Amino acid sequence: MGEHAVTGLEKWLLDKTGKDIYFWNFQVLMFFTLFEVAAVFFTEIPGTSIAITRFMVWGILIVVGIIKGYGIAAYFMHLRGDPRIYTRTALFPVLFVLLMMWGIGLSNPEAITELPSWCTPDWDYATNR
Amino acid sequence: MMSGFNNHVDNSVWGRAVLMAGAILTIGIVAFAALGLGVGSVKHDEYMEAKGEYKEALKDTSLTESELYKIHHHEIDAHLSYLTYWVAGVTILAISGIYAIFLGVGGFFNSIQPQEDHGHDDHHDDHHDDHHGSASPIVFCAGVLLFLIGFPDFVEGMRALLSQGGTFAPGDMVLSTIGLTIIMIGVANWWREDLPFIGYGEQIATSAPFEGEHIRKAGLWVFIMSEVMVFATFFSSYLRIRTEWCTKWAFDEGRCGVGMTEGDIVMTASDYLRPDGHAGTGDFWTMLPGAVNTFALIISSYTIVLALKTAKSKDWEAPKGALKFLLPDKKTAVRNYLIATLALGSMFIVLKLVEWSHLVAEGFTVGTVQGSIFYVATGAHGLHVFVGLLIMLYLVFKADTIGYDEDNGQGIEYFGLYWHFVDLAWVVIFPAFYLY
Repeated sequence: MGEHAVTGLEKWLLDKTGKDIYFWNFQVLMFFTLFEVAAVFFTEIPGTSIAITRFMVWGILIVVGIIKGYGIAAYFMHLRGDPRIYTRTALFPVLFVLLMMWGIGLSNPEAITELPSWCTPDWDYATNR
Repeated sequence: MMSGFNNHVDNSVWGRAVLMAGAILTIGIVAFAALGLGVGSVKHDEYMEAKGEYKEALKDTSLTESELYKIHHHEIDAHLSYLTYWVAGVTILAISGIYAIFLGVGGFFNSIQPQEDHGHDDHHDDHHDDHHGSASPIVFCAGVLLFLIGFPDFVEGMRALLSQGGTFAPGDMVLSTIGLTIIMIGVANWWREDLPFIGYGEQIATSAPFEGEHIRKAGLWVFIMSEVMVFATFFSSYLRIRTEWCTKWAFDEGRCGVGMTEGDIVMTASDYLRPDGHAGTGDFWTMLPGAVNTFALIISSYTIVLALKTAKSKDWEAPKGALKFLLPDKKTAVRNYLIATLALGSMFIVLKLVEWSHLVAEGFTVGTVQGSIFYVATGAHGLHVFVGLLIMLYLVFKADTIGYDEDNGQGIEYFGLYWHFVDLAWVVIFPAFYLY
C-alpha cells in the first residue's frame, strides 16, 4: 500500500462501515479460503445430495484462486492506485506462463489425438475423423 | 544503504539486537523442552507401546482382519502424534537458533564497528544529498554463490554429523561455511547502513519506464517479476507431469486406469491430505496444517498492512479495550504488528515441517516423481517464507529501536510487497498441490 487518495469503492466502504478497504479485502480473502478448503473437505454440498465432483472442485479452486489473487495484488500490493507501469511489470511474466501452458498442451502424450476435444468440450472431431 | 539525511545511531543500539537474539533463543529452547522433550517423550513412549502391540498382534492368529487394522491404525496415529510434537519442537529450536545467530552475530558485528559521526558531515546538506549506493547486496550474493557451490558437500557433512550415514570430513563444510560467513557480514552491513535511514534521500528513477518512481520499489517489482517466473516453472513442470498421471482422484471417478489396480495409480500429496483421499489416512487432521497455514499467511499479509498503515498514519490513536495493552503507542504498535507477522510466518514453517514429516512417514517421499515436484515446489515456497522472516527480524529490530513513521515507513511497504507475493504464490500452490 502506498499513499493515495481514498476514492471510489474504498471511500464508499470507509464511509458506510468505518473500516478501510484493507480490512474488507482481508475478510473476503478469509471467506474464500474457507470456501476453498470446504470445497475439498465435503464430498456433497452440505444439506443436499449433490456430489461435489472433481471438476466442480477444479472450477471452484480456479475461480477462488483468481479472486484471492486479485484481492492480494490489487489491494494489499496496491496495484490499484499505483502507476500502471507496476501492473504491467507484474503481468509481464504472464506471457511466458501462457507460453508454458501452451507447451504443456502440445507436449502432452495425448495432444495429437485428444487436444482438439480437450480444447473444445464435446467436439468429437478427434475421435471421429 | 542510505547515506542521506540519517539519524545518528550509536553503536550501543546494536547491543539490543544481541539481547533480542538471546530472548529468541530462550523461547526456542523452552518450546523445544516443552514440545520436543516434554510432550514428545510421552508421545514417543505411547508410540513404542503401540508399535509393540502391533508387533504382538501380527503374531496373534486369532485376531480378525478388522481388529488387526484397528491396532495398526492406532500405531500409525501414535507415530504421527509423536512426530507432530517432536518435529514442532525441533523446528522451533532450529528456526529460533537461526534467528538468534543472524540477529546476535549481526548485532555484535555492528556494535564493535568504529563509531561514525553523522552529525558533522559537511559534504551533505540535510534533505537532498546523493545516494551512495551499497556494496552489501553484492557481498551477500557472493556469499550465497559460495554457499550454493559448497551445498552438496555441506549436506553430506551434515548427514554424517547427524548420524544419517556417510563419513564426516571437515573439508565438506569449508566452502559453505565461508559462504555463510560472507552472507552474515553482507546482511549485518546492510542492516548497519539501513538502520539510521529516516526516509530522506530515497533514489528516484530519472528515465522511462519508472521515471519519478522510487528505484527501490521499481527494483522490487522487477525482482517479483523474476520470482513469478521461478514459481511458474515449478507449476508448469507439475502440470506437465501431472497430465500423464492417473491419480487416485481420477481413478476413483473412472476417468483413467482401465485395467489398472490401485497399486498402479499415482498417489499425489493431495491424495494423502484430502479427507476422501488415500484410503484410511486422509481426514480433517491431515488437511489441517496446510489449511491453517493458508489462513496464517493471509492474516500475516493483513498484519503487515496494519504495521505500514500505523507507521504512515499521522493521527494514530491507541485502540480502546484489551488491544490498548498490545498497542499502547504508535512505535510499539508497529513493532507488535511486525512481531505478529513474524510469529505467523514462523508458525507456517513449523506446520509445514510437521506436515512433511507426516507425509514422509506415510510413504510420500522425495524419491518419487510426485514427491520430488511436491517437496521442491513447496520447499522453494517455504524457503521464500523463511528468507522473508529473516528480513522481518531486522524490521522488528528497527521498529523497536529507531522506529518507523510516515517518513521511513516505505521500508515496511517494500518488504510487504515481497511478503504479499509469497502469499500470492501460496494462493496457487495450496490448491494445486494440496487440494487437487
